[in-house]
Amino acid sequence: MITVNNVSMRFNLGVEKNFSLKQFFIDILTHKKKEKSEFWALSDINFSVKKGEVVGFIGSNGAGKSTLLKIIAGVMKPTKGSVEIYGNICPMIELGAGFDMDLTARENIFLNGAVLGYSKEFLESKFDEIVEFSELKDFLDVPVRNFSSGMVARLAFSIATIVDPEILIVDEILSVGDIAFQQKSENKMRSMIGGGTTVLFVSHSIDQIKNLCDKVIWLDHGKIKQVGPAKEICDNYKESVLHS
Amino acid sequence: MFFKNIIANFKKYSFLLQQLISRDFKVKYKRSVLGVLWSLLYPVLNMAVMALVFSNIFKFSTPGVNYLVYVLSGLIMFNYFSEASNLAMSSIVANFSLINKIYIPKYIFPLSKCLFVGINFLLTLIPLYIVIFATGTGINIYHLVLPYAYICLFMFTLGMGLILATISVFLRDMFYIYSIVLTLWTYLTPIMYDIAIIPAKFQLILKLNPMYHYIDFIRKIILYHQMPSAFTFAVCGISSVIFLVIGLVAFKKNQDKFIYYV
Repeated sequence: MITVNNVSMRFNLGVEKNFSLKQFFIDILTHKKKEKSEFWALSDINFSVKKGEVVGFIGSNGAGKSTLLKIIAGVMKPTKGSVEIYGNICPMIELGAGFDMDLTARENIFLNGAVLGYSKEFLESKFDEIVEFSELKDFLDVPVRNFSSGMVARLAFSIATIVDPEILIVDEILSVGDIAFQQKSENKMRSMIGGGTTVLFVSHSIDQIKNLCDKVIWLDHGKIKQVGPAKEICDNYKESVLHS
Repeated sequence: MFFKNIIANFKKYSFLLQQLISRDFKVKYKRSVLGVLWSLLYPVLNMAVMALVFSNIFKFSTPGVNYLVYVLSGLIMFNYFSEASNLAMSSIVANFSLINKIYIPKYIFPLSKCLFVGINFLLTLIPLYIVIFATGTGINIYHLVLPYAYICLFMFTLGMGLILATISVFLRDMFYIYSIVLTLWTYLTPIMYDIAIIPAKFQLILKLNPMYHYIDFIRKIILYHQMPSAFTFAVCGISSVIFLVIGLVAFKKNQDKFIYYV
């Protein structure tokens, strides 16, 4: 379903600094070569995921988990290596991307749905389901600007999870809304996972990973440290964190 | 194969394009009392100010044709260009938070801006025709050829928008530079003056400006009731295609790097 071949990702930290015309001319005049402060967010990542497998990614902040998911989702191109994917992807990397705060909830359902690549007919047929799941029926014609952050997150989650994708990429989105909604969203995720979907899952909650995943990939400084059954890798990871 | 891909891609994202355009409309007019009426009023008021200043104070005139129609026809074309190219330029930087998270073909942002302003442009044709009739200028059969100039203007603007969007990702100073360039460009385009008042040796320079030819094209028809020359047809078509191709190539070549300049 997904094959990741020798993927490496380099970020050039030098260019991230404030690059301006002035600096550009100074650099030309002084023949200064750009300082190359490279940073390899990922190096030589290889793995494959079979259909229906639920794979968790763990590792400390900055280990390269999100970068890896973005590469698989097609947001970034890897510096080296390649990714092969069979099936349609639903990337739930960040919820509510593309929300326009000036528009109402109703308008945002269509805008955000379009951003996620859903068709018009699909959205119209699922509209009631989205509204019902988000429990925001009374606020449909209110600009999202006036929503609480929890309400925005609920709306976003409801839109993102309305599809039945073949591959689902989830980056830390299970904890949205109040406790009741969290429970509801976790159940929803479980039912999506249970339906034979291939899932790539990033979370800092080791318990969630242990519960939901078949296989776990432990990333450390852009390299794969360990791959294996969820329980074993999670225990190893926990131990290493506690002892460092 | 390549062509088939483009069609399939376009079909898939046409709904998004439509949503982005309708979003722009809603956001633009939501909080104003007159709403979409502004699209009609704005160019007319603009024309009134220019006509007041240039025909009364500077005594500009266009012998044989109505000055109001002269100004308004130039103005709507140039306003389209300046607004659409400006919005297209900032569309990539403004949507970084989206580009960074979800895969969307990036050309969709400048394209949606050029189309959005294009719809506005079509609305401004209403006041143009009102002024054409009110001043007794009248219409003729050649008006059917006008869409050719509008399409050339659109392609040229999209091309410029793609070039500017690409540069501005790497060089944010472009926003300032372009606003100055645009001011200069406004004066170098014969919008409120007749090119005949310019010394002959400078006229050539002004004619290097594609905007001059698009405006000249529609004025030939609207004001002089003539079919534009084959030369004007060719210049409009060729210049717009060249800029569009340059824009597409520059954009396509660099789009994968955009994400590092967030």
